[in-house]
Amino acid sequence: MEYEASKLFFAGIDIGSTMSKVVVVDAGGKMLGYVVGQTGAEHRRRANKVMEDVLLKAGVPLDQVAYIISTGYGRVNVPFADRQVTELTCHAKGVASLFPDVRTAIDIGGQDAKVLKIKGGRLTDFLTNDKCAAGTGRFLEVAAETLGLGLNEMGQISLQSDTPVKINSLCTIFAQQEIISRLSEGQPLTDILAGVYIAVTTRVVKLARQLKVEPPVVFTGGVAKNAGMVKAMQTVLGTPVLVPEEPLITGALGAAILARDEAFKLVKDGRYTMEKKQLSEAYIEFTEKGR
Amino acid sequence: MSETATPAKTEQKRAINRLKSMYPLRNMVQQDYVTTLQASNEGKPTVWSMLNYWEGDLPLKAMGLNIVYPENYATLLAATGAAEPFLDASDSDGFPTHMCGYGRSTIGYAYRMMKENGGKIPPDAPLGGMAKPALLLGSGIICDARFKWFQALARYFDAPQWCLEMPMMATFEGTEPDLEEYQVKFLTKEIKDFIAFLEKLLQRKMDWAKLEELIVLATKIHETTYQISEARKAIPGPMHATDFWSSMPPALFFAGDMNVSLKLYQDMLAEVQERAKNGESGINYPERYRLIFAELPPWHSLKFFDSLAEKGWNFVFESFGYHNTRPLDLSKVSDPCEKLARFSRNFWFNIFPEAKKDGISNPVVETYLKIARGFKADGFFMHPLISCRAASCSLRTIQHFEQEKLDIPSLWVEGDIIDKRVFNPQEVLARAEAFEQTMDHYRKVRKSKGLDW
Amino acid sequence: MVIATTKGLSRAHEVYADRGLRVRELRKAGKKVIGYICLYPPIEIITALDMVPFRVFGDMSEPITAADQVSTTVVCPFLRSIIDLGIKGKFNFLDGIVGAHTCDIGMTLLISWRDYVKDAPFTHLIDVPHTDHAPAVDYFEGQINSFKRHLEEFAGEKLTADKLKKACELHNKQRKLVRELYDLRKSDPPMLTSMENTEVLVALFSLPVDEGNELLEDVIREIKGRSIKPARKKARLLVWGPVFDNTSLYELIESADANVVIDDTCVGTRAFWADVKAPYDLHALAQRYLVDLKCPRTYRDTQHQETVRNYDKDLDSRFNYIKKAITDWHVNGAILQSVKYCDTHGYEVPNLRHYLDTLGIPSIYIEHDYSERSLAPIKTRVEAFVETLG
Repeated sequence: MEYEASKLFFAGIDIGSTMSKVVVVDAGGKMLGYVVGQTGAEHRRRANKVMEDVLLKAGVPLDQVAYIISTGYGRVNVPFADRQVTELTCHAKGVASLFPDVRTAIDIGGQDAKVLKIKGGRLTDFLTNDKCAAGTGRFLEVAAETLGLGLNEMGQISLQSDTPVKINSLCTIFAQQEIISRLSEGQPLTDILAGVYIAVTTRVVKLARQLKVEPPVVFTGGVAKNAGMVKAMQTVLGTPVLVPEEPLITGALGAAILARDEAFKLVKDGRYTMEKKQLSEAYIEFTEKGR
Repeated sequence: MSETATPAKTEQKRAINRLKSMYPLRNMVQQDYVTTLQASNEGKPTVWSMLNYWEGDLPLKAMGLNIVYPENYATLLAATGAAEPFLDASDSDGFPTHMCGYGRSTIGYAYRMMKENGGKIPPDAPLGGMAKPALLLGSGIICDARFKWFQALARYFDAPQWCLEMPMMATFEGTEPDLEEYQVKFLTKEIKDFIAFLEKLLQRKMDWAKLEELIVLATKIHETTYQISEARKAIPGPMHATDFWSSMPPALFFAGDMNVSLKLYQDMLAEVQERAKNGESGINYPERYRLIFAELPPWHSLKFFDSLAEKGWNFVFESFGYHNTRPLDLSKVSDPCEKLARFSRNFWFNIFPEAKKDGISNPVVETYLKIARGFKADGFFMHPLISCRAASCSLRTIQHFEQEKLDIPSLWVEGDIIDKRVFNPQEVLARAEAFEQTMDHYRKVRKSKGLDW
Repeated sequence: MVIATTKGLSRAHEVYADRGLRVRELRKAGKKVIGYICLYPPIEIITALDMVPFRVFGDMSEPITAADQVSTTVVCPFLRSIIDLGIKGKFNFLDGIVGAHTCDIGMTLLISWRDYVKDAPFTHLIDVPHTDHAPAVDYFEGQINSFKRHLEEFAGEKLTADKLKKACELHNKQRKLVRELYDLRKSDPPMLTSMENTEVLVALFSLPVDEGNELLEDVIREIKGRSIKPARKKARLLVWGPVFDNTSLYELIESADANVVIDDTCVGTRAFWADVKAPYDLHALAQRYLVDLKCPRTYRDTQHQETVRNYDKDLDSRFNYIKKAITDWHVNGAILQSVKYCDTHGYEVPNLRHYLDTLGIPSIYIEHDYSERSLAPIKTRVEAFVETLG
């Protein structure tokens, strides 16, 4: 594909504790490509690699990327980023770009959970759980390990139940013991699994209720791909939830859109150091075409 | 407050030998909830009161007010397993989760009543719930939460508030020669001001004769309960801790008709003294170990003590904070406010002269040393609570001094007053085995040092 | 008078980094040093009896290893740190310690100090009533008198009205100078960072009052003469909460594109906002410390004896000094911080946040356990909060 010189692009890169994600958007905020990979131990190398990969995928040369924002746990380890923004702000931005009316976003990651309140597309309030595994993807992993099941498998099996078993333990380790006890008591696997999803959801919704859950509610994070989890979320919340097609990348998407916004702001302020002509043209084209 | 009232009908031997006289006292409290709810439905104003060691409750009763104790109600929530929705509600309104379980329950109750149920009692509240308060009476004694959480309740209730004062200090400062005089002066003035406030609020005068009468009754009740405590020193221990916890509210909160509770406590005294005379134990198994429980019980799991009773563990005494001390002779004091000040102050300060003599800086430590000696304890069951700092933070130093001064060991069992997920009964029973050996060992040590138990 | 080799902000930094630096020298020269915990012990009495008051803090970088023999773990980590350090002998440069019944754990740990810390020969616990009622002020005066008597015995001299007056004047002078220092953060950007401010204040708590006053005069002059100022940032924040005696939290906040321009903490305005008033006697001390000093540990009965209560009115009466600070220092956001297990502050949070809401000031509540490693997870939250402003 060929691109005009005046066209410029923007990237957002989200270095999470387990997964790294990167998204490229054009001046209109349209996503041109994304990549998801394991973070591993070497954040800097990973950042470079995923960046290369996404540019290849999107067919965009690096010198046409006008602005890059890094986010996530490893955001300080992206030397080529122009700015760092927290994943809380980026997730909110990303979710709002996909669902403009969103008021509440719930993100459950591998090791944390976040609840975001959004109004007019902007983050207004938030809460996070990064201390306790019980309300995160980790809980599901432990349950899966305990039962010798794959995560997706677990989700599918749980869908068969409408009578989840109550799992009381506050702590992931104790919950493991509880799961085994229930099994040995003869409780059906389907009900136990449904109970596991309800347990994780209940913890997160408890956090969410501190900020008052207002619809529309969007559910993101790797865990949101799991049908059992989505069902549990809707059951506990008592309202439907919206799940993006690719729930893992909302942070990177938001970062990319923020990168676009930042770049345009700099143009307006007359502070941008890159080829102003190209950026201004992209800006004009974008503003004339409208959002 | 304990498990719901169902005397055992099974043939299986009951572990705890419950006093007959405990039941009517326990029922008095439950009855009291029903009565106060009824009264509030009839339009009588309800006061939410914190345990204030009688400083505030006697004036309230003298004014004929309907009183409800959220602290006590919270134990009901715990015992009936109904606490969770209230705890969650408190968390959801931004209050820290480390707070006192009683506080969280109350705040959660207030939130659910006012924000979710339009001012009506939440439908799942046991025993009919607590009526909306017309006055919030907090107290600074024993812990900060107990007035801070009432202050925080202003978020839900526009009811007027009062915070009662009670000094708390260490042995050295607490035995200064001029202290009593200006402390009593302070408390007397506070009580006077409080009563003036009640008069303004209710638009009627205090019935001083009634107040005097209640102080006399209170003194009699406390003399009786004091004698019960003394009688419990018998070997084997004639009254188990669970009976005490079930029957203490009418003496701690003066719930219900005090003439009735006086009679019931006199019945209890007679029964305990009879048991002591006959060598009848508070447990239906041979008493192998005499335990002291400190401090606040696991309201959600009182059945747990049955398992220990089966091992011959007799909990002969408990929870200093729930006991009154020997009442003072106030006959020479003419001002009823001063009477009340001295009566209430006595709870905390009575132990100070002995603490000073023994060179113990922490009055609670001295109190438990006295208890351990008086009851010839073999061991302490220390129950620190994750949500209650005031009742837990001294337990380590008490443990240390019991070991150092009297060679009495302690079993350390963590838990919470409301949240039962923190308490692990199986684990405790496993450790109990080992602890028996520890208690056996220290019996020998004490004997070798010339102590007689 | 010892001439310090460093002056101004450098001196402040020096003393901040080694808090016992000056008092150890003074002790060698024969002065007695009396430690105090929290803001309620009236330090004017210590100064008036020719001794040096030294505020006792914990140490965020020291792992707690000895406190468990004395206390359970689910108590204020700041106070646990203090008793931990005490037992380990880290305060053996103190001749005595005075605490106050400002909170349950504060009281209990001072009592434990008596039992478990062998170094300090003088210990005293001042009872502080819970309310600000008039009879409570009188009672508190009695308690202050008891402290005075005990300290006189230890000092071997009597306190005179004149000595007390002079001490009050010196401490009032310090408070006035600190208020001047705070004025320097009204500008945009502020003329100093909150880290520098903290170092100065912690130094003040570690020096005799006259040396502290000298330090302040030097610092104020130095800052006014600065050509390089801190950068202007998007957010101008107020930090609220209990003791934070370390620059680390402020550093964390300021690195998130924020200037902390004012605070309501006890290593901050709570210590310096109210003066002792004439006639500078024990009653004046009681009034200043119980009523004029604003801390959530006191039940400020703003609707005393009123039979009809109003929630918003009560909040305003309790917190309007914060409103004033927000206005005067042009604040656009607030960070409420507290240590875990602090009931005194914990119960305030929802109501204070509601009040700030009504003022249109966004706020965030963060809890930490008074250890350096507990701050890292807070960084993201603080950054995200600043990102939501403006």
